[in-house]
Amino acid sequence: MNFFISYCQHSHRHPKAEAPALRMKDVCASYEGDDKLALKNISFSVPRGVSMALVGPNGAGKSTLFKVASNLLKMSSGKVEIFGQPLGACHQHVVYLPQRSDIDWQFPMSVLDLVLTGRYVYLGWLRSLGRQDYHKAWEALENLSIEDLSHRQIAQLSGGQQQRVLIARALVQDADLLLLDEPLNAIDAQTRAIVQKVLNHLKAKGKTTLMATHYFNPQEGLYDVAIYLKDGEMIREKVT
Amino acid sequence: MSEPFQYVFMQRALVAAVVVGVLCACLGTLVVLRRMSLVGHALTHSALPGLAIAYVLGLNIFGGAVVATVLTALLIGWLAKNEAVYEDTSVGIIPTLMFALGILVISSTKSYRDMSAMLFGNILGVTQTDLRLTIAIALGTLLVLLLFYKEWKLLCVDPNYAKTIGIPLNILRYGLLLLLALTVVVGIQAVGTILTNALLVIPAAAARLLTNRLGVMIVWSCVFAVLSALAGVFLSYYFGLSSGASIVLCCGLCFIICWLIRPSISLRTNPERKSKDSCCVK
Repeated sequence: MNFFISYCQHSHRHPKAEAPALRMKDVCASYEGDDKLALKNISFSVPRGVSMALVGPNGAGKSTLFKVASNLLKMSSGKVEIFGQPLGACHQHVVYLPQRSDIDWQFPMSVLDLVLTGRYVYLGWLRSLGRQDYHKAWEALENLSIEDLSHRQIAQLSGGQQQRVLIARALVQDADLLLLDEPLNAIDAQTRAIVQKVLNHLKAKGKTTLMATHYFNPQEGLYDVAIYLKDGEMIREKVT
Repeated sequence: MSEPFQYVFMQRALVAAVVVGVLCACLGTLVVLRRMSLVGHALTHSALPGLAIAYVLGLNIFGGAVVATVLTALLIGWLAKNEAVYEDTSVGIIPTLMFALGILVISSTKSYRDMSAMLFGNILGVTQTDLRLTIAIALGTLLVLLLFYKEWKLLCVDPNYAKTIGIPLNILRYGLLLLLALTVVVGIQAVGTILTNALLVIPAAAARLLTNRLGVMIVWSCVFAVLSALAGVFLSYYFGLSSGASIVLCCGLCFIICWLIRPSISLRTNPERKSKDSCCVK
């Protein structure tokens, strides 16, 4: 079937040619029922093809920043643009990798099914998955070395396997901007090596990544630039 | 054994049992997985004033129940969305007020006996019109469920991701509440306002004990609900028992059996998970 009824309530817009992947200007945000600002006047921009680290301790505002950029949390003031377009206009071009705790891992679903949800944005309402979607999913599973887990139930995965499955879903969406919330946190050494390989591959393909992390090691060569957050404020920016 | 099938009222009751069983089982699966059992409980109790007011005014009581449950579903959704009141608090407030209103209306009629079928169900008393309405609601509900199956699945497992790709979560949530309201109304005919939630939740909960696969869970849930509903109808016919209570107790029996055989069938989580996680790089 060729019809496409987008989930998006706003009309879909294509990325602007010269615009940065992400631009934040004086963004402030707070959670419902909390007077304290979780983000205070954050301004920065991420050029296309750049790998940026978002460094800070717990509570620094890293996840909040991702939630604002992925339209999960409304900002109280400021402006956010994704590829030069307002939030919500480029759904297919941006993907948010949440922390593992955001998923209901007890839901009865196979690994392949969860990875395939990354294709929903291209299907919209009333369309079902096709051969190309399955092909993309298998490709992502192979990249993360979890193809043998494809039919395993998500409730039966270890923490490292869960992380790889979520990254596979992000890859399947084939977005140009990836917002990765601590993908290297609390995973085993093997998973870490595989994830780093995938991130390097994304960088080589010209994808833009913004990755939250507690620890920043310039020697790893994963990032082009790092910004540091503390108590919701951006304290410095460092080019590696 | 074939004797009951000779009677038209039994034929209707058996068809209603199958339809109600399948509908409650399918929707009940989502209710259990979305952890909405309390909402189902709330909606079942909220149908009472609609039933009672329609009865007093001489209107179709089915229609009255639809209005009352849909209204409650919308109110619960609205209060929960506003976040000024916790969802479980709104689930605690609205249905109890609705139930109290229902009791008030019933008490004003001085006719508690007429209301017993509403409270406890009477599947043997299903009329041709009731049956047609039940089938129409069931087909419509199942069709909507099927059309938006992938979106509801994503809403259950990862609502944040659903939101980031633009799926309007509020429409899905309200839609699910409305389907639930309609299903409750259908269930009331079989097992009454008080016991309908059991038909929604118990077969799906029993099925969840047996499998980690959604499709298989839905099938098992349907099997348990339909078998329980049919068994309840026969028990009611042969022994003169309350049909609603019989159906629910049969559901309960299915759950107990599943609970007992569960250890030999499935393991919910990976036994290696703890040991693997313990060597994580922090």
